[in-house]
Amino acid sequence: MHKLNRNNRDKLQQFVAITGASEKSALQALKASDWHLEAAFDVFYSQPHPRSNAADVRRLEELYNRYKDQYSDMILAEGISNLCNELEVEPQDIVTLVLSWHMNAATACEFSKQEFITGLQALGVDSIAKLREKLPFMRSELKDEQKFHDIYNFAFGWAKEKGQKSLALDTAIGMWQLLFAEREWPLVTHWCDFLQDRHNKAISKDTWAQLLEFSRMVDPVLSNYDAEGAWPYLIDEFVEYLYDKNVVEK
Amino acid sequence: MERKTIDLEQGWDYMQTGITKLKRILEGLPEPAFDSEQYMMLYTTIYNMCTQKPPHDYSQQLYDKYREAFEEYINSTVLPALREKHDEYMLRELVKRWANHKVMVRWLSRFFYYLDRYFIARRSLPPLNEVGLTCFRDLVYNELHSKVKEAVIALVDKEREGEQIDRALLKNVLDIYVEIGMGQMERYEEDFESFMLQDTASYYSRKASSWIQEDSCPDYMLKSEECLKKERERVTHYLHSSSEPKLVEKVQHELLVVYANQLLEKEHSGCRALLRDDKVDDLSRMYRLYHKIVRGLEPVANIFKQHVTAEGNALVQQAEDTATNQAANTASVQEQVLIRKVIELHDKYMVYVTECFQNHTLFHKALKEAFEIFCNKTVAGSSSAELLATFCDNILKKGGSEKLSDEAIEDTLEKVVKLLAYISDKDLFAEFYRKKLARRLLFDRSANDDHERSILTKLKQQCGGQFTSKMEGMVTDLTLARENQNSFEDYLGHNPAANPGIDLTVTVLTTGFWPSYKSFDINLPSEMIKCVEVFKGFYETKTKHRKLTWIYSLGTCHINGKFDQKAIELIVSTYQAAVLLLFNTTDKLSYTEILTQLNLSHEDLVRLLHSLSCAKYKILLKEPSTKTVSQTDVFEFNSKFTDRMRRIKIPLPPVDERKKVVEDVDKDRRYAIDAAIVRIMKSRKVLGHQQLVSECVEQLSRMFKPDIKAIKKRMEDLITRDYLERDKENPNMFRYLA
Repeated sequence: MHKLNRNNRDKLQQFVAITGASEKSALQALKASDWHLEAAFDVFYSQPHPRSNAADVRRLEELYNRYKDQYSDMILAEGISNLCNELEVEPQDIVTLVLSWHMNAATACEFSKQEFITGLQALGVDSIAKLREKLPFMRSELKDEQKFHDIYNFAFGWAKEKGQKSLALDTAIGMWQLLFAEREWPLVTHWCDFLQDRHNKAISKDTWAQLLEFSRMVDPVLSNYDAEGAWPYLIDEFVEYLYDKNVVEK
Repeated sequence: MERKTIDLEQGWDYMQTGITKLKRILEGLPEPAFDSEQYMMLYTTIYNMCTQKPPHDYSQQLYDKYREAFEEYINSTVLPALREKHDEYMLRELVKRWANHKVMVRWLSRFFYYLDRYFIARRSLPPLNEVGLTCFRDLVYNELHSKVKEAVIALVDKEREGEQIDRALLKNVLDIYVEIGMGQMERYEEDFESFMLQDTASYYSRKASSWIQEDSCPDYMLKSEECLKKERERVTHYLHSSSEPKLVEKVQHELLVVYANQLLEKEHSGCRALLRDDKVDDLSRMYRLYHKIVRGLEPVANIFKQHVTAEGNALVQQAEDTATNQAANTASVQEQVLIRKVIELHDKYMVYVTECFQNHTLFHKALKEAFEIFCNKTVAGSSSAELLATFCDNILKKGGSEKLSDEAIEDTLEKVVKLLAYISDKDLFAEFYRKKLARRLLFDRSANDDHERSILTKLKQQCGGQFTSKMEGMVTDLTLARENQNSFEDYLGHNPAANPGIDLTVTVLTTGFWPSYKSFDINLPSEMIKCVEVFKGFYETKTKHRKLTWIYSLGTCHINGKFDQKAIELIVSTYQAAVLLLFNTTDKLSYTEILTQLNLSHEDLVRLLHSLSCAKYKILLKEPSTKTVSQTDVFEFNSKFTDRMRRIKIPLPPVDERKKVVEDVDKDRRYAIDAAIVRIMKSRKVLGHQQLVSECVEQLSRMFKPDIKAIKKRMEDLITRDYLERDKENPNMFRYLA
């Protein structure tokens, strides 16, 4: 084999043991990352795996064709409904949002072929049964702070109408109720009431993103809320609403 | 030449005779003065004794004896004399003794001068002069200085109480403290000054505590000013000049700083009362006293600000009360009275600032802040910006100020413009002003062109060219329109065929300068259509690239009403005329018929018909004859109508434009905020929220005071429009995109 010093040989063996990769690809990854083990993992996992790709793609295409719409090259509402049935989840289940996130789907209720196949590849599944097995894992991802943040911000673009810049209020409220069911935020009902009561307009991306920050940073009794801060005005008004309605003592 | 050696004893005996003679002179005993021969002999003795070959060189011994001579004299004569005297007598004695001592030093050091030249210089010993002074310091001064200090201070206190004292004596005593320092001020400062200052502090502290109870604020200030003056005199008379700032500081502290609050807040005579009663002299005194004290004027300025604010608020409240108590039409008069009163208030207190308070910036600021508070209040639903614009209108329009002289008008305009500086919604003022200016110009209501231009110049100076460019454009437009009208009339003269048979005056305006007016497509009567066409024909001979938009709502018509009794000239608006001309062909028309023939909106038509059938002059009879117009009414020409005048003006009540003006200004502000944010971000690229907001407020403050919420909304709008983005890491930071 190659002339490796002991240290690097150890690393190679370790790498193979952990990733299950061939020695060749392990060596590639380690060399690419200048023999840093951690970095080499990143390199390895960010690469598409040529190993079983061909077989996978064939199976995934078969899967895709099962759900594909008759008339267009996409999976549409009906296909998704079938997919959910077979996965034994409700279409409104938040796990479908996580799945869409993995597929990086541009819009709710549809998957393009590209999204579907790369998404499932990334998840490392090639059958419904395997995907079903992945569901608990995907649910658990919502508990991860960073992933939740990504999924939350992904949801805005995913849920809004194509071509619109902002999110219709009803949809936004629906999404918030869904998302905040996963994360305890005691003010979510007040927020939705406030919007229907006082705002009644679409929600901008900025407001959407900042609300998550608000729910994270500001405690429910607003003790650390800074009126001079950069919160969007809608959130400022929400705070005033909370004081007005005596939900929170000033 | 061989010289006979002098031994120490023999030589010193000779010196003793000289010293004894000197002492006798000092003690005032009968003794002839030194003649030059004696002096020469004494000097020579020392010289000889110092220049003999060792061991007969007595320099060191003579140097010691020189000192001993002083010590002996001081111990045997000076101290006993001083010890038996006290107080002022002791001071006198001391002064005398010190003077004597200096004489003694002067003489002895001359006798011993040769020591100074060689022995002392070579060994770097203290020179004779210094040795002499040191003796006095060590023996006399050190023993007595604290007693002396007490005696001096006692005398100073006596003088403070009004007694006559011997100032020259004190001056001489205090000079000793200075001279004893031999070039250093330490002895004066440590042995006398510090105690004197302490005493001064406690003296005035006692005084102040009783004065503050007994005296009114003006009396207290008078006394304080007098005390300060006297203390300064004291310094010039006998204290060292370096004591002045320290002494004054002590007195100021005890009299003015310690009791500042109590003094200024005195119930019936404090700063507020002085302002209330216009006690200009006392206020000037207050300024004089407190302006030298660090932060001393701040409370005064504060009270001044509160006082002016309260007066201003009272004026506003008064106007508000009268406005609500009276009918709507007189309310506007009240508001005008308010502006005049505010101007008077400003005049009055500006004099205070410039005279009592010597133009101090603190008071200018206080006045400004006070005016900003009450000048931005609304009165009876009108913003101050609107009131001010109306006030200008009343001055500038015909019949508004004809009684006033040109100077008085100029003066008032000047003051109004100054007042504008306190108003934060300058853009709102500009918009109202433009509306009113448009009315003055278009309906020929402006009293004087010079005044119109002069106020614009003043506004331009204060608010910048951008502020007045549209207004100036309007005034220029009108001049151009007059020329245009002349050439139109020439044109008609040369083309008799084109003449519509009606006198027609057209004012061509530049759209951007003027307020926006609604213009609807009304079906004009054929006579008017002809006029329009003729003018269009003329206008196209002058220019090809301009589009004429007719704003009929601003038009006026003179029409002849042929009534049964007599013909009367009716002055009406173009719309009113259009309605009336319909009755040339028929006597009776229903509301709907008029509506379809003229193609007007309900709102406008109701207003027009109301002015013609329900108001003062009933040119049309309405069926049924009620006070309001409804869509089922029928109208008939009132041929019985008559009036004692031969010409009447039928007014059309103006639509309330306030709401529209406010809306327009709001819209303009959104653009202004957007522009400001983009301008700031374009230069800064990345900026924190707070900073962006404050820079934005700063940039816009010249025109208006933007609402923070409004700025936030605009920022969010710019984010959606991809001009800005929030920093991914820090949501308080914004980045400029593009």
